[in-house]
Amino acid sequence: GLEACLMDTRLFNWKSQCLAPLPPLPEKGGEVRYGLIPEEFFQFLYPKTGVTGPYMLGTGLLLYLLSKEIYVVNHETVAAVCILSVIIYGVKKYGPAVAAFADKLNEEKVATALAVKNEAIKSLETAIEEEKKEQWRVEGCSYLFDAKRNNVAMSLETNYRERLLTVYNEVKKRLDYQVAMQNLKRQKEQDHMIQWVEKSVVQSITPQQQKESIAKCILDLKALSKSVQAAV
Amino acid sequence: MAGRRAAVKAIDWAAFAERVPPNQRAMFNALKTRNDALSARLAALPEKPPAIDWAHYKAAVAKAGMVDEFQKKFSALKVPEPVDTQTAKIDAQEKEAAKSTAEYVQASKARIAQYEQRLQTLRNMIPFEQMTFEDLHEAFPETTLDKEKYPFWPHRPIADL
Repeated sequence: GLEACLMDTRLFNWKSQCLAPLPPLPEKGGEVRYGLIPEEFFQFLYPKTGVTGPYMLGTGLLLYLLSKEIYVVNHETVAAVCILSVIIYGVKKYGPAVAAFADKLNEEKVATALAVKNEAIKSLETAIEEEKKEQWRVEGCSYLFDAKRNNVAMSLETNYRERLLTVYNEVKKRLDYQVAMQNLKRQKEQDHMIQWVEKSVVQSITPQQQKESIAKCILDLKALSKSVQAAV
Repeated sequence: MAGRRAAVKAIDWAAFAERVPPNQRAMFNALKTRNDALSARLAALPEKPPAIDWAHYKAAVAKAGMVDEFQKKFSALKVPEPVDTQTAKIDAQEKEAAKSTAEYVQASKARIAQYEQRLQTLRNMIPFEQMTFEDLHEAFPETTLDKEKYPFWPHRPIADL
């Protein structure tokens, strides 16, 4: 895992041609004690001197430097102590907050990039779907031409039937006209004849005949009234 | 007589309607109404007109020979069938349409292949945390900065920042 990556850091430098895929860069740097001394040093000394070994070494070295005045304590030492203590206090107190803030910034950048990628993937997928759908749609073009041909056939058929019907109607009209003409003529002739007969009959009634017929009518009426009186 | 009836093919209007894209709906509706109107007219007309009762007219009409003449001419009359001018055009149209649809389907398939390829590259991309700028330009070619066109930083028009 992490230690394998650390062991590999040397390989990055002397291999001229990188083999793909490179392992990703490690998330955190090497473990360090007191912010200064890497953990490997303690591990290195552990087999020989145990847990306290490096501390003894450190303390001894420090005392040696101070007592032999290889490191001289002067005003700069005081300044260094003050400055370093302030710096360490600041880092210890606000370090995590700043780190979180920086991480958040990075997170946002990565998140936008990821969003772009997902967006692209989704749009590509929908585009593929749409294309497939359009292909399916286009397959239905045979329907269109069938419908058109149907229309043509139907209109031809309709036209033909209309023509037949027209012929029939025309012929029938003419025949009916002849028949109606004949009927009308006969009726007119009949009416005319009846009128003429009536007129001639009326004309032929002479005054003499009228008197005679009226006298006959009176006689008949008298006879009738007698028979009626008798009946009553 | 039998040859004239070009068969009226049954059309599945529901399936047809499904395949119509929304921007061509109006045309489809016009076609359908026209089709419906024609079929209604067709259904209203009888296939053959009723037969004329020649015997009745022969007895009724006094003019000699008129009915016989009419009958002879009527049975001899051949009503011309309407000439079909459109079916050839429709067939030509259909061929053209078949060709253009084949082309469209080809182009569409090519596009789909392109999209599939891009999709694959995107899916197999390494995560952003492990990318360098070179890797980014590989995965998203549109992010590459054109150093020939804009040789000075920021290598793109200021408006695009």
